[in-house]
Amino acid sequence: MASSKEEWERYQEALRRGDRTAAAEAFRRYQEAKRKEGKGSSKPTLVNLSTRGKAYLNAVPLDKIPEEIERNPEFFELMKRLGTKEKG
Amino acid sequence: MPTTILMSDFDLPTRSASGYLLRWIVPRLEPVHLFAALARRQPFVLSAPQSDIIIGSGHGDVDVFTGQDEAAILEVGKYDPKEVRGKVIKLLSCQTGVELGPDLVKNGCAAFMGYVDDYVWIMDSDLATRPWADNEFAAKCLMPVVEGINALLDGKTAREALDIELDGYSRNDEMEEDELIKSCLKFNQRNAVLLGDESAKVRVRPPLLLPFRLFPPPPIVLPIRL
Repeated sequence: MASSKEEWERYQEALRRGDRTAAAEAFRRYQEAKRKEGKGSSKPTLVNLSTRGKAYLNAVPLDKIPEEIERNPEFFELMKRLGTKEKG
Repeated sequence: MPTTILMSDFDLPTRSASGYLLRWIVPRLEPVHLFAALARRQPFVLSAPQSDIIIGSGHGDVDVFTGQDEAAILEVGKYDPKEVRGKVIKLLSCQTGVELGPDLVKNGCAAFMGYVDDYVWIMDSDLATRPWADNEFAAKCLMPVVEGINALLDGKTAREALDIELDGYSRNDEMEEDELIKSCLKFNQRNAVLLGDESAKVRVRPPLLLPFRLFPPPPIVLPIRL
């Protein structure tokens, strides 16, 4: 079983490649690794302060991030900027 | 001169961001706070011209900062320059550093601090009624913002205040093990901007008194959109 850090690196690679399906799967594995390391927690939610004019949600529970990455290209671009320092 | 502090509170991100201002900034300020339903344009128009500092948390975009239910507060081309002239403005919001910040400075704002991309963090939505208690997640990103604003209210320059916020992100990043939180810290750090006069200062406010250091506000029972 890979560590959460290793899974995060795989997730970043998928983001850089622009592969939404692989990024979503890697993020799922990252969360699973974190749970196995005992770092899971109450109800963490990724939030932002953008307006409703944006094509992505202001609040996404962490366990919903993979499906949001797969479903929504705008959210994928936000996660790419967040996770890789690359512009969308 | 009073402070104008706008804290919208109608969904998870505004509850979390405004919660930290309520806990750590509001007790230092004069008792006119534009919280929740008051975070709208008309109360702002009455308060802002008399203030030397405008602090806001709310949703935003490149050309607009909004209050409650995303009612526009400051929008490029749609405000009176006297609302911002000579003031230090700090907006905890998304992307306002792209167009709105430069426009505010062009219209006489002394210094503007904001962000050129989304402001992103993780919060524990189970703590929505006591957002300031979210030490495991939200505090990592939001306490550096609080420290920067407190530095301004202590009499530090805009540059010094921003450096304190940026140092806070670095400090938390070094101690953090969660990769997603680390990404948020670095992202917010590299998107923070200061425009205008870096040596701008505001009137020094009294420090947070001991009772307020020890005791948080009562839980917020106002409903929010989930």
